[in-house]
Amino acid sequence: MSTIETGMADPAGGQDEAEIFMDPKVQESIGRSLKAHYDDIVNAPVPDKFLVLLAQLEAQENRAAGDSADERH
Amino acid sequence: MSATEFKDGLIKEIPNLRAFAASLSGSMQLADDLVQDTLLKAWGNSEKFEPGTSLRAWLFTILRNTYYSLYRKRGREVQDSEGTYAERLAVRGNQESHLDLADFRKALAKLPEEQREVLIMVGATGLSYEETAEICGVAIGTIKSRVNRARTKLAELLSIGGLDDLGPDRQSAAALQRAGSEIVNI
Repeated sequence: MSTIETGMADPAGGQDEAEIFMDPKVQESIGRSLKAHYDDIVNAPVPDKFLVLLAQLEAQENRAAGDSADERH
Repeated sequence: MSATEFKDGLIKEIPNLRAFAASLSGSMQLADDLVQDTLLKAWGNSEKFEPGTSLRAWLFTILRNTYYSLYRKRGREVQDSEGTYAERLAVRGNQESHLDLADFRKALAKLPEEQREVLIMVGATGLSYEETAEICGVAIGTIKSRVNRARTKLAELLSIGGLDDLGPDRQSAAALQRAGSEIVNI
């Protein structure tokens, strides 16, 4: 009895629409398509502009650090 | 964390940021603008990132907030003028997928934003329900119900899990019923 009660005490609010039954095959098919959609973009080449941008930001920071070091001297 | 370590961390997350941004905005061009803004904000606020926590979750939070505050309206305009990325993105390779990728993307784009974003986060990015709840600022139960509504809606849009899929079972059930009534009739 007490185990069943503990099992039912779901902090997420358990037995509501989150528990709606869905055919596991349909769920699996949607899951595969989601991954296919997402991974297709993840695996695409990253545009150079992002790497250039980050390199510029890093160079700026290094220069700023160098400048403040110079000021201290 | 040194600037170089932080930069390397950001570089590793760029592919995921692009995929999430494209899923949110429905446009690859907007996605790349959004990723650029996210990287700039992340760099400017690097001291707020706590080493040891998930950099992906932190970056997704920035990207998502940027999208909702600045890009949402633009997204609709771009989609209207160019069509969604679903129609323009070349589909690379993956024919193993059960559903056609372009059809799937069109259906995904029709989901309400709040359902689409959680379905992507939970179903494709490797983020946990807890992290997703934190990123969206809602309870885990809310995330679960949004994911379920999203799946149901997608199945409906893609016409899977509907009457068509029940075909063979219904046919065999009908056959059994016929066989049963014949036996009764004898």
